[in-house]
Amino acid sequence: MGSQSFSDALGVDYGALAPLLIVLGGACVSVLLEAVLPRVRRRSVQLVFSLAVVVVALAAVIIRATSGAGDVVVLAGSLSVDAPGLFLWGTLLALAVPSVLMLADRSVEPGGVFVADPEALAEAQERVGAGSLRSTSSGLPSGTGTDTHGVVGRRGGAGPEPTTPPEMHTEIFPFVLFALGGMLAFSAANDLLTMFVALEVLSLPLYLLCGLARRRRLLSQEAAVKYFLLGAFASAFFLYGVALLYGYAGSVRLADIAASAAGPLRSDALLFAGLALLVVGLMFKASVGPFHTWTPDVYQGAPTPVTAFMAACTKVAAFGAILRVFTVAFGTTALEWRGVLWAVAIASMVIGTVLGITQTDLKRMVAYSSVAHAGFILIGCLAITPAGLSGTLFYLLAYGFTTIAILGLVSLVRSGDGEAGHLSGYAGLAQRSPVVAAALSFCLLALAGVPLTSGFTAKFAVFSAGLADGMAPLVIVGLVCSAIAAFFYLRVIVLMYFSDPAPDGPTVSLPGPMTTVAITLGVAVTLLLGVLPTAALEWAGAGTFLG
Amino acid sequence: MTTTIGEAIGFWILGPVALAGGLGMVFSRNAVHSALWLVLTMLSLGVIYMLQAAPFLGFTQIIVYTGAIMMLFVFVLMMVGRDASDSVVEVLRGQRVAAAVLGIGLAGLMIGAVAQSVGVPLAAGAPSGSNVGGLGLLVFQRYLLAFELTSALIITGAVGAMVYTFAGRAKSKAITQKERVAERLRGPLEKFGSRSGPGVFATADSVATPALLPDGSVAPESLSAIIEATARERLGHATELSRPGDEHDTAAHSHHAERGEIQGSQT
Repeated sequence: MGSQSFSDALGVDYGALAPLLIVLGGACVSVLLEAVLPRVRRRSVQLVFSLAVVVVALAAVIIRATSGAGDVVVLAGSLSVDAPGLFLWGTLLALAVPSVLMLADRSVEPGGVFVADPEALAEAQERVGAGSLRSTSSGLPSGTGTDTHGVVGRRGGAGPEPTTPPEMHTEIFPFVLFALGGMLAFSAANDLLTMFVALEVLSLPLYLLCGLARRRRLLSQEAAVKYFLLGAFASAFFLYGVALLYGYAGSVRLADIAASAAGPLRSDALLFAGLALLVVGLMFKASVGPFHTWTPDVYQGAPTPVTAFMAACTKVAAFGAILRVFTVAFGTTALEWRGVLWAVAIASMVIGTVLGITQTDLKRMVAYSSVAHAGFILIGCLAITPAGLSGTLFYLLAYGFTTIAILGLVSLVRSGDGEAGHLSGYAGLAQRSPVVAAALSFCLLALAGVPLTSGFTAKFAVFSAGLADGMAPLVIVGLVCSAIAAFFYLRVIVLMYFSDPAPDGPTVSLPGPMTTVAITLGVAVTLLLGVLPTAALEWAGAGTFLG
Repeated sequence: MTTTIGEAIGFWILGPVALAGGLGMVFSRNAVHSALWLVLTMLSLGVIYMLQAAPFLGFTQIIVYTGAIMMLFVFVLMMVGRDASDSVVEVLRGQRVAAAVLGIGLAGLMIGAVAQSVGVPLAAGAPSGSNVGGLGLLVFQRYLLAFELTSALIITGAVGAMVYTFAGRAKSKAITQKERVAERLRGPLEKFGSRSGPGVFATADSVATPALLPDGSVAPESLSAIIEATARERLGHATELSRPGDEHDTAAHSHHAERGEIQGSQT
């Protein structure tokens, strides 16, 4: 048959492609559901459907990884499904589960973060007149009307609910699935063109999600515009780099670039100029070092569940792509360019740590901490050895779950006008809510890299790989920065346990089942990877990239 | 790689034109001028493609970019407002100088990198078959995944545009006819009806307020037969404004004009 030979020529391996196809197909079906379903049923159906898609795709990854199927390059060499790629896919999909749960949650904030019309919701609640519901509407300097901030309601104490459940932007579910599909393709892309399109596919839904908060609308929209403009700028750098590399190698395939670099008679200027521009685009997405300027504003302005999704999954996808590009395309020329990236890694660690100390907003602090962590992860990427690869993969898994748990916990601590972002709100939190304070402390210790948490194992793996590959100075800088960074994590813990709570301080909302599951998952994985890291480390080190 | 004389001539004419278009786009203050400069650049690029034996690409460039996308761009600019120009106030001190220095530095580096490799034969991609056929093979075989992923991008863009357009827009409540009438009778004609014209002394805009003639008497034409009861009550006189059946007859009103000798004082 014609179609048969065509698909053979393309190398369509449905077994290998299944996770990607499931997620992208699911995203398309999700858009259709949005069009077909009546408004009241959309949220529950979309939530169940999205979770099912993610879980089925995760199952497909696990089946593929355990079945012993070899590494393959599919779709005419544009996608490489190999052992590290499968680990990245597994990590992304596993992180997507708590992210989706947090995005769909409506217990912490009435109507959820993505409530379509917060003013109508507030009105409805005022009509109901529940005594325990406080609604404050403050006139921000917005021309669009008053932003109605979070209406803090204690669960259980809440009065009668409005008769119709408040509407929510259920379009976030297809967006998340599309972003996830883009991330899967990005981390497995075997040529730069596919990588670029995947980069756009993962970015565009994130830009949209950032601006969809209806409360604190202006901050959220500012974050989205910043992210979009800087992201477009970074994409242009990436594309320029791809053009130069195509000029150099005559191909955008990663393995061909490596082959050209090994051959004689080429002007290396094109190769390294291309690499430099490419790295700018990739580092931007991973929020490394001097390309991090968007990170604090976007982390702070975006709705917290979106921040969690972005912080965890985008980092995994971006570093997956960085690892692949460095290893497959530029592994042979590493000696010549590694010095520059040493500087980038050092800059990232120092910027993240020093500016992290000066922050007074917890979400901004997490953002700067993610910049510092990006520097640590980059150490693993620069060690182009199997140990460096497995260490980096493990770090990404560990960091993702810890960050999701932290941001989930941050979303619970609320004052009258929404989340209490300011550090002073955390004073004496242990007296108000011992469980939240303990979980937050544990996760912050994991970020600091204290033993028995996943952070320690991850840092140990990355730093030892760096040392083994002769990057001792870089590792020393990393250790010093970790020590300094521990200060601002511990500062929060001290504040929570050894200060008296302010009388008008924030309250801690009781999370609904979905946020509870997400936070519990994050904390449990953080603990598990700290105590029993062997299985994950083994899977992370199961193989190498296939060119 | 050899270059024919015609190709060289074409390049040296079109190259500077394209460059000028780019510079003009960056430096013109007016957004529409910027867009038109960009059209010039794209047209030049399209012709360069054709000179390099890629007619399909050249025409696509002209049709899609200059024809469709740029015109869409200009439409949007016109809708947003032609005068909406960017603020040129420097927020950060010395930002413009720093940006210029760094930008020129980057441009120098890139030119250096490209110039260094001009002498070396570039690795040429292997064109196979005809122009369109070759492209088709690339799009539907080699880069099939990228092509399919683009569809995800387009769907996201379309859904996103709709979400952002309709987000937060409160559902407009349907106004019943009763409410509309009440609004209209209440006076301030914010939404319905029209205000008094210039040169007219009016203390109220309500339909229920009769107009006064120059001598201060009520103009009977201005008394609506429909709200006859109201008028009668307010004017206090047993004025026969209109006979039954004459409500819609304007001639009937003028017939009774002289009978409206009432001191209409509406405050």
